[in-house]
Amino acid sequence: MPEAHSPQNDIPPSAAPPARPEQAAAESADVIVRRSRPPVRPFRGLRSEISTGGTLLLGLCGILAVLAVWWLLTRGETPEQRWLSPTLLPSPAETFADFPRLWFEEELTRNAAVSLRRVVLGFGLAALIGVPVGILCGCFRSLGALLAPLLIVGRNIPVAALIPLTFFWFGIGEQQKMMFIFIASVAFVVIDSANAVGEISGRYIDTAYTLGASRRQIITKVIVPLAMPSIFNSLRLLFGIAFGYIMLAELVRLGSEAGGLGFIINAAQRRGMRTYILLILMIIPLIALAVDRLLYWIQRQLFPYYYGSEGWLHRALVLVLRGCEDVAAMFRRPAEPPLALSRSADQSRAPGSGPGPAAPQSETKKP
Amino acid sequence: MTPEIAQDPPSKSIASIGMGRIVDRSETAAEAGLPCVVEFRNVSKTYNAGRRNAFTAIENINFRVRDLPGHGELVCVLGPSGCGKSTILRLIAGLPPQHPPTTGEVLVGGAPVLRPGADRGMVFQDYTSFDHRTVLENITFGLECMGVDRRRRRELGYEWIEHVGLDPKHDALKYPHELSGGMRQRVAIARSLILRPRIILMDEPFGALDPQTRMNMQDLLLSLWRESEATIFFVTHSIEEAVFLADRIYIMSKAPGTILRELWVEPSDRPARQMQGDPRFLETVNYVRNLITQLELEGRIAEGTT
Repeated sequence: MPEAHSPQNDIPPSAAPPARPEQAAAESADVIVRRSRPPVRPFRGLRSEISTGGTLLLGLCGILAVLAVWWLLTRGETPEQRWLSPTLLPSPAETFADFPRLWFEEELTRNAAVSLRRVVLGFGLAALIGVPVGILCGCFRSLGALLAPLLIVGRNIPVAALIPLTFFWFGIGEQQKMMFIFIASVAFVVIDSANAVGEISGRYIDTAYTLGASRRQIITKVIVPLAMPSIFNSLRLLFGIAFGYIMLAELVRLGSEAGGLGFIINAAQRRGMRTYILLILMIIPLIALAVDRLLYWIQRQLFPYYYGSEGWLHRALVLVLRGCEDVAAMFRRPAEPPLALSRSADQSRAPGSGPGPAAPQSETKKP
Repeated sequence: MTPEIAQDPPSKSIASIGMGRIVDRSETAAEAGLPCVVEFRNVSKTYNAGRRNAFTAIENINFRVRDLPGHGELVCVLGPSGCGKSTILRLIAGLPPQHPPTTGEVLVGGAPVLRPGADRGMVFQDYTSFDHRTVLENITFGLECMGVDRRRRRELGYEWIEHVGLDPKHDALKYPHELSGGMRQRVAIARSLILRPRIILMDEPFGALDPQTRMNMQDLLLSLWRESEATIFFVTHSIEEAVFLADRIYIMSKAPGTILRELWVEPSDRPARQMQGDPRFLETVNYVRNLITQLELEGRIAEGTT
């Protein structure tokens, strides 16, 4: 698993949304200097923004370039006329012509669903256990130190080497696939969650303490909500990697357990169907992209205060939490709030206190 | 450039109200009998004590702030950056790693400080609004932790939103990132004051604001303070701010921070903008500025000779 990924990739700093005034200023400045503006040079400005259309167009150009090279390398009627023989690489036309057969005969959708289900279950379990453990590791350094050796092993173990062991431990069924994904990803989930907690600025915790929050309240009301956007972001990236691992688990087979995209690749390899392998290699990133976008949408709706979205899921979550609070409130007596404002305002007229803010000048003594 | 000052003969005059002049004043006998809100007894704080990177933030700090009946004092701690001003505040708040002190005792209401609590509200220079909570939820955070029920929280929250000069209709459901710096500090102040603390600790709360907003906030703070009975400890490096706000100013030296001088100041009688442009006010500010320069010079000479 690449360790260089940062869980913050897509999280703008929390200060990002309020940048609007600057933008407005930049726009007004734009109007003034428009006349003297230099001609557009797409590759000139370092890190300069490009439009969405431009992004898509350039991406399309990239795909077309790869297809063109592929087409060139495999051009020709007979194998002798081609630069690469069909046994090495079938032509684009041959590959795409086999797609309907792959779809219908090999039950592509069912197998994709089987693979996806395994990842979702395995990774879901890893998140369910890893996130709370990671948050506790981040909150309590001693727990973090206790688990550190285990996590270092978990992070640096070559995942492929785990497969034989998982056969012994979990048999050859679905459980083995799921647990393989779990073992391969749980250490990363724990580490990223602990880091997300560690990155919360201490001033939030100090503030909560001076407002009378207990340690438990700080964890549930401050640390968890503030760490969640970062944790969710890293879960999304890790899910993509876990989706890659499932191929590994499905390619190594004992016995006749079946299903999954890896299974199709395996079968195609034995039958010499290179086109199937190529097609599946193209389909996997598409599925991964779709899942990633879905998770990104969820993320945006969960954390409107980071992404400036409508926050539908956030609102739903708030409603659920309020419901829970109201139910809990039925079983205990509510605390009395400190003195209400209006009552204390009267007391400020007590002798000895300074004049009110709007005190007339005549009341004041001149030195 | 000679506002009436007298450091030595303790006269019994009570602080009058006016242009923020330095007042010659010391504790009256009646006051000396009162219990203390905050007392520092020989407090020092050294980080990494005994190691090569040992650093003493404050040294031998001694002061008392009395519990005046029905009225809190506004104490400004004035000093250069890194002189341990914040250390003093955080010791009162009971926040680690400043708490506990290396030597000495920090007493609040006669008892040593053990841990942070809602009776000592704190407002920081950084914006510390919780990003995931709306203005209303931020302001009622402390009530929520106390277990006050939601309807009551809402009522009080709206009351305070209005009270610190925010618009209940438009601002209550905004998230902190939609607010300006001044508005965020209003939220932070409301969030502390809603709990009606005895002591309010303010660590350069207006340091990051532009001068206009800063003056508005100073006026707001004074009006809120006058209707509460809280004692405010206000840390700043702005002399104008200290002279305008304070009843009492502690001038601190560079690290290791010690209290060089205690000054009593007249409470101000007009809004910040009028006051801070007045030549008589500026005279006082100048006097304090020169005093600080002189004290620093004396400190350096003393260092050189010993």
